[in-house]
Amino acid sequence: MIVAISLDESVEAARACARDEVPTPLTYPVLVDRDHAWAEAYGVINVPATVWVDEHDRVVRPPSIAPGDDKFIEFTKISADIHHDALRRWVHDDVLPMDADAVRSRRAPADAALQEARAERRLAMHLLRVGHEELGHAHLARALELAPDDWTIHRGSMPVRGEDPFGEAFFDFYQRWEAAGRPGYES
Amino acid sequence: MTVTLVVDGAVHALPGAVRDDALLVEADALADVTGWHLRDEGLCRGDVCIPRFALDGLEHADGLDLATFARALGRPLAVEPAAALAVLAESPDDQAGAIAAGQAPPFVLPDLDGNPVALADFVGRKKLLLAWSSW
Repeated sequence: MIVAISLDESVEAARACARDEVPTPLTYPVLVDRDHAWAEAYGVINVPATVWVDEHDRVVRPPSIAPGDDKFIEFTKISADIHHDALRRWVHDDVLPMDADAVRSRRAPADAALQEARAERRLAMHLLRVGHEELGHAHLARALELAPDDWTIHRGSMPVRGEDPFGEAFFDFYQRWEAAGRPGYES
Repeated sequence: MTVTLVVDGAVHALPGAVRDDALLVEADALADVTGWHLRDEGLCRGDVCIPRFALDGLEHADGLDLATFARALGRPLAVEPAAALAVLAESPDDQAGAIAAGQAPPFVLPDLDGNPVALADFVGRKKLLLAWSSW
């Protein structure tokens, strides 16, 4: 089964997107992780990412970038078919996408700067939610400085920073990240 | 006064004070939300104790200094004294360890209507957890 988890700060934005998906209405649960507590626990730093969890709640495929289609393949460079075929084999025939060693080797290592950035981001969002605009943006800036390549922190905060996550600011971020070798990007 | 501390995703209003940009929280209240108690031998949770010599600057008249507390536990702390607010995050090792065990970390999240949904609700089924967003 699919469990969709939105990393949006705005529940309304998540709801609007879910409304446009097919089938309408969606047949699977759509959850909201405003605080990114789930994303952090699972090591998700970008979207769309999937984590495969088996019947016994074991992770059989760690966070992987998995576009649902090839619409943005020029940017994603990952064909949707790779995941869809592997997913069918797992669901129908219990064929695991990778062995246990490969699962382990894919897990994100401990990262002190990233953890600090996550604390700063969470503080910033709390401040913004209660109307401390200036303080909130100062802490958000600190989080961006600490984790310049984390999409959930950087692109995810563009709406609250008044930037267009599909506009120029995003393309600046994208180009810098691309030049850095697409860190944290695994299919 | 009240200090707001966010820990493990929950927001706690705790008795404390702000002194020279440092956030202080009463020891008993901090123990209630973190499980770490200040004893003669040090800062302890269960059988594990951080010895006193590593806790320099922790104790003040108005409570325990959150920054020293977090540093002793190896956990990052983000602080905003002007709002008497702090966020205590997981240590880098604990965060990486949560998934390193191979077991999916349990979670409870609200759906779009605010109803809580847990990973445990789907035990016995294969799950594709899909992280997405409007951005």
